[in-house]
Amino acid sequence: MGHEQDEFADFYRASRDSCLRAVTAVVGDRELAEEQVAEAFTRAWTSWGQVRRHAAPRAWVVRTALNLGVSWWRRRHREVPLADHDSAVPGGPGDGVDPALIAALRRLPTRQREVLALRIFLDLDTETTAKVIGVAPGTVTAHLSRAVAALRRDLQPAHTDPDATEVIR
Amino acid sequence: MNEHDDVMCLVRESFSGLRMDLPVEDVLAAGRARRRRQRRRLSGLTAAAAATAGAAVAVTLTLGGAGPARSGAPPSPSASPVTLATFSVTDGPGHSTTLTLYKGTRLDPSALREDLARHGIPALVTVGTFCRSTGASVSFGQVVQPSTLPDGTDVMVINGAAMPPGTRLSIGYFAGHVRLLLIKDGAPLSCSSTSGQPAVHITPSGTPIRG
Repeated sequence: MGHEQDEFADFYRASRDSCLRAVTAVVGDRELAEEQVAEAFTRAWTSWGQVRRHAAPRAWVVRTALNLGVSWWRRRHREVPLADHDSAVPGGPGDGVDPALIAALRRLPTRQREVLALRIFLDLDTETTAKVIGVAPGTVTAHLSRAVAALRRDLQPAHTDPDATEVIR
Repeated sequence: MNEHDDVMCLVRESFSGLRMDLPVEDVLAAGRARRRRQRRRLSGLTAAAAATAGAAVAVTLTLGGAGPARSGAPPSPSASPVTLATFSVTDGPGHSTTLTLYKGTRLDPSALREDLARHGIPALVTVGTFCRSTGASVSFGQVVQPSTLPDGTDVMVINGAAMPPGTRLSIGYFAGHVRLLLIKDGAPLSCSSTSGQPAVHITPSGTPIRG
Protein backbone atom coordinates (compact mmCIF):
# COMPACT_ATOMS: atom_id res chain seq x y z
CA MET A 1 0.00 0.00 0.00
CA GLY A 2 2.87 2.36 0.81
CA HIS A 3 4.34 2.05 -2.66
CA GLU A 4 0.94 2.42 -4.30
CA GLN A 5 0.14 5.44 -2.18
CA ASP A 6 3.41 7.10 -3.11
CA GLU A 7 2.81 6.30 -6.73
CA PHE A 8 -0.70 7.77 -6.62
CA ALA A 9 0.55 10.85 -4.75
CA ASP A 10 3.13 11.47 -7.47
CA PHE A 11 0.48 11.00 -10.13
CA TYR A 12 -1.88 13.39 -8.36
CA ARG A 13 0.71 16.13 -7.90
CA ALA A 14 1.83 15.87 -11.51
CA SER A 15 -1.66 15.74 -13.01
CA ARG A 16 -4.03 17.77 -10.86
CA ASP A 17 -3.47 21.16 -12.50
CA SER A 18 -3.80 19.88 -16.06
CA CYS A 19 -6.89 17.87 -15.17
CA LEU A 20 -8.45 20.89 -13.47
CA ARG A 21 -7.74 23.08 -16.51
CA ALA A 22 -9.20 20.51 -18.88
CA VAL A 23 -12.38 20.08 -16.87
CA THR A 24 -12.74 23.83 -16.30
CA ALA A 25 -12.43 24.44 -20.02
CA VAL A 26 -15.30 22.04 -20.62
CA VAL A 27 -17.67 22.96 -17.78
CA GLY A 28 -16.75 26.66 -17.67
CA ASP A 29 -16.85 26.91 -13.89
CA ARG A 30 -13.84 26.68 -11.60
CA GLU A 31 -15.66 25.64 -8.44
CA LEU A 32 -17.66 22.93 -10.16
CA ALA A 33 -14.59 21.68 -12.00
CA GLU A 34 -12.48 21.54 -8.84
CA GLU A 35 -15.04 19.49 -6.96
CA GLN A 36 -15.54 17.12 -9.88
CA VAL A 37 -11.81 16.67 -10.34
CA ALA A 38 -11.31 16.07 -6.61
CA GLU A 39 -14.03 13.43 -6.65
CA ALA A 40 -12.55 11.84 -9.76
CA PHE A 41 -9.10 11.65 -8.14
CA THR A 42 -10.70 10.10 -5.07
CA ARG A 43 -12.25 7.44 -7.28
CA ALA A 44 -8.95 6.99 -9.06
CA TRP A 45 -7.25 6.32 -5.75
CA THR A 46 -10.01 3.92 -4.71
CA SER A 47 -9.45 1.98 -7.94
CA TRP A 48 -5.78 2.77 -8.35
CA GLY A 49 -4.83 -0.82 -9.11
CA GLN A 50 -6.85 -0.54 -12.32
CA VAL A 51 -6.48 3.13 -13.13
CA ARG A 52 -2.69 2.94 -13.02
CA ARG A 53 -2.83 0.42 -15.85
CA HIS A 54 -5.09 2.62 -17.95
CA ALA A 55 -3.58 3.81 -21.21
CA ALA A 56 -4.04 7.43 -20.14
CA PRO A 57 -4.78 7.73 -16.39
CA ARG A 58 -5.13 11.51 -16.58
CA ALA A 59 -7.74 11.12 -19.28
CA TRP A 60 -9.52 8.62 -17.03
CA VAL A 61 -9.67 11.29 -14.31
CA VAL A 62 -10.95 13.96 -16.69
CA ARG A 63 -13.51 11.59 -18.23
CA THR A 64 -14.70 10.53 -14.77
CA ALA A 65 -14.93 14.15 -13.61
CA LEU A 66 -16.97 15.11 -16.66
CA ASN A 67 -19.21 12.08 -16.26
CA LEU A 68 -20.07 13.20 -12.75
CA GLY A 69 -21.89 16.13 -14.30
CA VAL A 70 -23.70 19.04 -12.81
CA SER A 71 -26.43 16.83 -11.38
CA TRP A 72 -23.85 15.20 -9.08
CA TRP A 73 -22.71 18.64 -7.94
CA ARG A 74 -26.28 19.70 -7.24
CA ARG A 75 -26.98 16.56 -5.23
CA ARG A 76 -23.83 17.18 -3.26
CA HIS A 77 -24.91 20.71 -2.53
CA ARG A 78 -28.59 19.87 -2.20
CA GLU A 79 -29.50 22.28 -4.93
CA VAL A 80 -32.89 22.34 -6.59
CA PRO A 81 -32.53 21.28 -10.22
CA LEU A 82 -33.33 23.86 -12.84
CA ALA A 83 -35.35 23.11 -15.94
CA ASP A 84 -32.28 22.61 -18.11
CA HIS A 85 -30.80 20.04 -15.79
CA ASP A 86 -27.35 19.57 -17.17
CA SER A 87 -26.29 22.99 -18.32
CA ALA A 88 -23.23 24.44 -16.66
CA VAL A 89 -23.73 26.29 -13.43
CA PRO A 90 -22.98 29.93 -14.15
CA GLY A 91 -19.81 31.05 -12.57
CA GLY A 92 -16.38 31.52 -14.02
CA PRO A 93 -12.97 30.01 -13.99
CA GLY A 94 -11.30 32.94 -12.26
CA ASP A 95 -7.53 32.89 -11.84
CA GLY A 96 -6.97 35.28 -14.67
CA VAL A 97 -8.68 33.33 -17.43
CA ASP A 98 -9.96 35.74 -20.07
CA PRO A 99 -13.77 35.94 -19.74
CA ALA A 100 -14.05 36.39 -23.50
CA LEU A 101 -12.27 33.07 -23.97
CA ILE A 102 -14.60 31.37 -21.52
CA ALA A 103 -17.57 32.84 -23.32
CA ALA A 104 -16.19 31.59 -26.61
CA LEU A 105 -15.57 28.11 -25.17
CA ARG A 106 -19.11 27.97 -23.82
CA ARG A 107 -20.45 28.65 -27.28
CA LEU A 108 -18.76 25.51 -28.59
CA PRO A 109 -20.62 22.20 -28.56
CA THR A 110 -19.63 20.04 -25.59
CA ARG A 111 -17.84 17.47 -27.74
CA GLN A 112 -15.67 20.13 -29.34
CA ARG A 113 -14.78 21.48 -25.91
CA GLU A 114 -13.84 17.99 -24.75
CA VAL A 115 -11.61 17.39 -27.74
CA LEU A 116 -9.97 20.77 -27.31
CA ALA A 117 -9.39 20.20 -23.58
CA LEU A 118 -7.92 16.74 -24.02
CA ARG A 119 -5.63 17.87 -26.81
CA ILE A 120 -4.46 21.08 -25.15
CA PHE A 121 -4.24 20.27 -21.46
CA LEU A 122 -3.50 16.54 -21.51
CA ASP A 123 -1.45 16.59 -24.70
CA LEU A 124 -3.28 13.55 -25.98
CA ASP A 125 -2.78 12.63 -29.60
CA THR A 126 -5.68 12.15 -31.99
CA GLU A 127 -5.82 8.38 -31.55
CA THR A 128 -5.87 8.48 -27.77
CA THR A 129 -8.38 11.32 -27.72
CA ALA A 130 -10.62 9.29 -30.00
CA LYS A 131 -10.41 6.28 -27.68
CA VAL A 132 -11.12 8.37 -24.59
CA ILE A 133 -14.17 10.02 -26.10
CA GLY A 134 -15.33 6.97 -27.97
CA VAL A 135 -15.35 8.38 -31.50
CA ALA A 136 -13.34 7.83 -34.66
CA PRO A 137 -9.99 9.64 -35.05
CA GLY A 138 -11.37 11.51 -38.04
CA THR A 139 -14.16 12.85 -35.87
CA VAL A 140 -11.62 14.16 -33.39
CA THR A 141 -9.76 15.96 -36.16
CA ALA A 142 -13.01 17.48 -37.43
CA HIS A 143 -14.09 18.59 -33.95
CA LEU A 144 -10.70 20.15 -33.30
CA SER A 145 -10.68 22.04 -36.59
CA ARG A 146 -14.17 23.39 -36.02
CA ALA A 147 -13.42 24.35 -32.44
CA VAL A 148 -10.22 26.16 -33.35
CA ALA A 149 -11.89 27.93 -36.26
CA ALA A 150 -14.74 29.09 -34.03
CA LEU A 151 -12.38 30.30 -31.33
CA ARG A 152 -10.19 32.09 -33.84
CA ARG A 153 -13.25 33.82 -35.24
CA ASP A 154 -14.61 34.71 -31.81
CA LEU A 155 -11.35 35.91 -30.36
CA GLN A 156 -10.21 37.93 -33.35
CA PRO A 157 -9.36 41.45 -32.15
CA ALA A 158 -12.07 43.88 -33.15
CA HIS A 159 -9.58 46.37 -34.58
CA THR A 160 -8.53 44.00 -37.36
CA ASP A 161 -11.74 44.77 -39.17
CA PRO A 162 -13.25 48.16 -38.41
CA ASP A 163 -16.45 47.20 -40.18
CA ALA A 164 -16.96 44.05 -38.17
CA THR A 165 -19.36 43.88 -35.26
CA GLU A 166 -18.30 41.60 -32.47
CA VAL A 167 -20.99 40.42 -30.11
CA ILE A 168 -19.73 38.63 -27.03
CA ARG A 169 -22.63 37.11 -25.15
CA MET B 1 3.66 23.10 -35.31
CA ASN B 2 0.41 23.17 -37.19
CA GLU B 3 -2.35 25.51 -38.22
CA HIS B 4 -4.07 25.22 -34.84
CA ASP B 5 -1.08 26.09 -32.70
CA ASP B 6 -1.78 29.79 -32.24
CA VAL B 7 -5.26 29.26 -30.83
CA MET B 8 -4.24 26.22 -28.79
CA CYS B 9 -1.31 28.12 -27.28
CA LEU B 10 -3.60 31.02 -26.44
CA VAL B 11 -6.02 28.73 -24.62
CA ARG B 12 -3.20 26.90 -22.84
CA GLU B 13 -1.63 30.13 -21.64
CA SER B 14 -4.93 31.62 -20.59
CA PHE B 15 -5.54 28.71 -18.22
CA SER B 16 -1.98 28.51 -16.94
CA GLY B 17 -2.81 30.33 -13.71
CA LEU B 18 -5.43 27.76 -12.76
CA ARG B 19 -4.10 25.49 -10.06
CA MET B 20 -5.61 22.82 -7.87
CA ASP B 21 -4.64 23.47 -4.28
CA LEU B 22 -6.26 20.45 -2.67
CA PRO B 23 -3.52 18.54 -0.80
CA VAL B 24 -3.00 14.92 -1.77
CA GLU B 25 -3.58 13.94 1.86
CA ASP B 26 -7.21 15.08 1.53
CA VAL B 27 -7.70 12.94 -1.58
CA LEU B 28 -6.15 9.92 0.13
CA ALA B 29 -8.36 10.39 3.19
CA ALA B 30 -11.47 10.73 1.01
CA GLY B 31 -10.47 7.57 -0.84
CA ARG B 32 -10.06 5.66 2.42
CA ALA B 33 -13.50 6.81 3.59
CA ARG B 34 -14.96 5.77 0.26
CA ARG B 35 -13.38 2.31 0.54
CA ARG B 36 -14.86 1.90 4.02
CA ARG B 37 -18.31 2.79 2.69
CA GLN B 38 -17.89 0.33 -0.18
CA ARG B 39 -16.85 -2.45 2.20
CA ARG B 40 -19.90 -1.82 4.39
CA ARG B 41 -22.18 -1.82 1.36
CA LEU B 42 -20.49 -4.93 0.00
CA SER B 43 -21.00 -6.86 3.23
CA GLY B 44 -24.70 -5.94 3.15
CA LEU B 45 -24.99 -7.03 -0.47
CA THR B 46 -23.20 -10.30 0.26
CA ALA B 47 -25.90 -11.10 2.80
CA ALA B 48 -28.60 -10.12 0.30
CA ALA B 49 -27.01 -12.27 -2.41
CA ALA B 50 -26.81 -15.23 -0.02
CA ALA B 51 -30.52 -14.86 0.71
CA THR B 52 -31.22 -14.62 -3.02
CA ALA B 53 -29.20 -17.77 -3.68
CA GLY B 54 -31.18 -19.62 -1.05
CA ALA B 55 -34.46 -18.59 -2.62
CA ALA B 56 -33.24 -19.54 -6.09
CA VAL B 57 -32.16 -23.00 -4.97
CA ALA B 58 -35.66 -23.49 -3.59
CA VAL B 59 -37.11 -22.59 -6.99
CA THR B 60 -34.76 -25.01 -8.72
CA LEU B 61 -35.73 -27.81 -6.38
CA THR B 62 -39.41 -27.10 -6.97
CA LEU B 63 -38.82 -27.53 -10.67
CA GLY B 64 -37.09 -30.81 -9.99
CA GLY B 65 -33.93 -29.66 -11.70
CA ALA B 66 -35.39 -30.77 -15.01
CA GLY B 67 -34.83 -27.54 -16.87
CA PRO B 68 -32.74 -24.47 -16.80
CA ALA B 69 -33.45 -22.07 -14.01
CA ARG B 70 -34.40 -18.91 -15.85
CA SER B 71 -33.59 -16.82 -12.87
CA GLY B 72 -31.44 -17.70 -9.91
CA ALA B 73 -28.15 -19.04 -8.66
CA PRO B 74 -26.46 -22.29 -9.62
CA PRO B 75 -28.66 -25.25 -8.63
CA SER B 76 -27.86 -27.64 -5.83
CA PRO B 77 -25.09 -30.18 -6.44
CA SER B 78 -27.63 -33.00 -6.61
CA ALA B 79 -29.49 -31.47 -9.56
CA SER B 80 -28.68 -33.19 -12.84
CA PRO B 81 -28.20 -32.27 -15.56
CA VAL B 82 -26.65 -29.07 -14.27
CA THR B 83 -27.72 -25.94 -16.10
CA LEU B 84 -26.34 -22.84 -14.52
CA ALA B 85 -28.66 -19.92 -14.14
CA THR B 86 -27.12 -16.65 -15.16
CA PHE B 87 -28.83 -13.96 -13.17
CA SER B 88 -31.45 -13.09 -10.63
CA VAL B 89 -33.69 -10.06 -10.31
CA THR B 90 -35.08 -9.52 -6.85
CA ASP B 91 -36.86 -6.79 -4.91
CA GLY B 92 -34.91 -4.73 -2.43
CA PRO B 93 -33.15 -3.32 -0.65
CA GLY B 94 -35.89 -0.80 0.06
CA HIS B 95 -37.71 0.19 -3.09
CA SER B 96 -34.76 -0.78 -5.27
CA THR B 97 -34.28 -3.87 -7.40
CA THR B 98 -31.20 -6.04 -7.17
CA LEU B 99 -29.78 -7.57 -10.32
CA THR B 100 -27.20 -10.30 -9.74
CA LEU B 101 -25.12 -11.56 -12.65
CA TYR B 102 -23.27 -14.76 -11.93
CA LYS B 103 -19.79 -15.19 -13.25
CA GLY B 104 -18.87 -17.59 -15.99
CA THR B 105 -22.35 -18.24 -17.33
CA ARG B 106 -24.18 -17.46 -20.55
CA LEU B 107 -26.81 -14.78 -20.37
CA ASP B 108 -30.21 -14.97 -22.02
CA PRO B 109 -30.77 -11.27 -22.85
CA SER B 110 -34.50 -11.65 -23.52
CA ALA B 111 -35.08 -13.34 -20.18
CA LEU B 112 -33.19 -10.66 -18.33
CA ARG B 113 -35.01 -7.88 -20.18
CA GLU B 114 -38.37 -9.45 -19.36
CA ASP B 115 -37.50 -9.96 -15.71
CA LEU B 116 -36.35 -6.37 -15.36
CA ALA B 117 -39.52 -5.17 -17.07
CA ARG B 118 -41.56 -7.13 -14.53
CA HIS B 119 -39.79 -5.12 -11.85
CA GLY B 120 -40.61 -1.86 -13.63
CA ILE B 121 -37.19 -1.36 -15.16
CA PRO B 122 -37.18 -0.91 -18.93
CA ALA B 123 -33.93 -2.21 -20.36
CA LEU B 124 -32.08 -3.03 -23.52
CA VAL B 125 -29.92 -6.10 -22.88
CA THR B 126 -27.24 -7.08 -25.34
CA VAL B 127 -24.56 -9.75 -25.23
CA GLY B 128 -21.13 -9.06 -26.69
CA THR B 129 -22.11 -5.57 -27.73
CA PHE B 130 -23.07 -2.34 -26.00
CA CYS B 131 -25.56 0.24 -27.22
CA ARG B 132 -25.78 3.92 -26.44
CA SER B 133 -28.19 6.52 -27.72
CA THR B 134 -26.67 9.07 -30.00
CA GLY B 135 -26.99 12.76 -29.26
CA ALA B 136 -27.28 14.11 -25.74
CA SER B 137 -26.43 11.64 -23.03
CA VAL B 138 -28.63 11.05 -20.02
CA SER B 139 -27.22 11.64 -16.59
CA PHE B 140 -26.64 8.29 -14.92
CA GLY B 141 -27.10 9.83 -11.50
CA GLN B 142 -27.73 7.31 -8.76
CA VAL B 143 -29.74 4.87 -10.79
CA VAL B 144 -27.32 1.98 -10.31
CA GLN B 145 -25.03 1.13 -7.42
CA PRO B 146 -22.75 -1.61 -8.73
CA SER B 147 -20.43 -3.86 -6.79
CA THR B 148 -18.56 -7.08 -7.33
CA LEU B 149 -18.55 -9.89 -4.79
CA PRO B 150 -15.30 -11.72 -4.01
CA ASP B 151 -16.39 -14.67 -6.17
CA GLY B 152 -16.79 -12.42 -9.20
CA THR B 153 -20.55 -12.13 -9.04
CA ASP B 154 -21.73 -8.71 -10.17
CA VAL B 155 -24.45 -7.18 -8.01
CA MET B 156 -26.28 -4.08 -9.18
CA VAL B 157 -28.82 -2.29 -7.03
CA ILE B 158 -31.08 -0.44 -9.45
CA ASN B 159 -33.19 2.47 -8.30
CA GLY B 160 -35.86 2.41 -10.98
CA ALA B 161 -37.58 5.47 -9.52
CA ALA B 162 -34.45 7.52 -10.22
CA MET B 163 -34.55 6.78 -13.94
CA PRO B 164 -35.66 9.88 -15.81
CA PRO B 165 -38.90 9.45 -17.77
CA GLY B 166 -38.35 8.27 -21.31
CA THR B 167 -35.17 6.40 -20.54
CA ARG B 168 -34.15 2.79 -20.19
CA LEU B 169 -31.12 0.95 -19.02
CA SER B 170 -28.69 -0.30 -21.64
CA ILE B 171 -26.89 -3.39 -20.35
CA GLY B 172 -24.01 -4.75 -22.38
CA TYR B 173 -22.92 -8.17 -21.18
CA PHE B 174 -19.40 -9.22 -22.09
CA ALA B 175 -17.28 -12.19 -21.10
CA GLY B 176 -15.22 -10.23 -18.62
CA HIS B 177 -17.40 -7.31 -17.66
CA VAL B 178 -20.74 -5.58 -17.84
CA ARG B 179 -21.45 -2.09 -19.17
CA LEU B 180 -24.40 0.02 -18.12
CA LEU B 181 -25.77 3.29 -19.39
CA LEU B 182 -29.05 5.15 -19.50
CA ILE B 183 -30.36 5.65 -23.01
CA LYS B 184 -33.24 7.68 -24.37
CA ASP B 185 -36.29 5.89 -25.69
CA GLY B 186 -36.72 6.38 -29.39
CA ALA B 187 -33.27 7.87 -29.90
CA PRO B 188 -31.03 6.35 -32.56
CA LEU B 189 -28.69 3.78 -31.09
CA SER B 190 -25.01 3.33 -31.66
CA CYS B 191 -23.94 -0.21 -30.79
CA SER B 192 -20.37 -1.37 -30.57
CA SER B 193 -18.53 -4.46 -29.53
CA THR B 194 -15.51 -2.40 -28.55
CA SER B 195 -14.88 -0.40 -25.44
CA GLY B 196 -16.24 3.12 -25.97
CA GLN B 197 -16.85 5.13 -22.84
CA PRO B 198 -18.93 3.32 -20.28
CA ALA B 199 -20.88 5.05 -17.56
CA VAL B 200 -20.00 2.22 -15.23
CA HIS B 201 -17.42 -0.41 -15.98
CA ILE B 202 -17.38 -3.47 -13.77
CA THR B 203 -14.47 -5.80 -14.03
CA PRO B 204 -14.76 -9.33 -12.65
CA SER B 205 -12.20 -8.84 -9.94
CA GLY B 206 -12.20 -5.19 -9.09
CA THR B 207 -14.08 -2.20 -7.92
CA PRO B 208 -16.47 -0.69 -10.42
CA ILE B 209 -15.00 2.16 -12.39
CA ARG B 210 -16.93 5.05 -13.78
CA GLY B 211 -15.28 6.41 -16.82
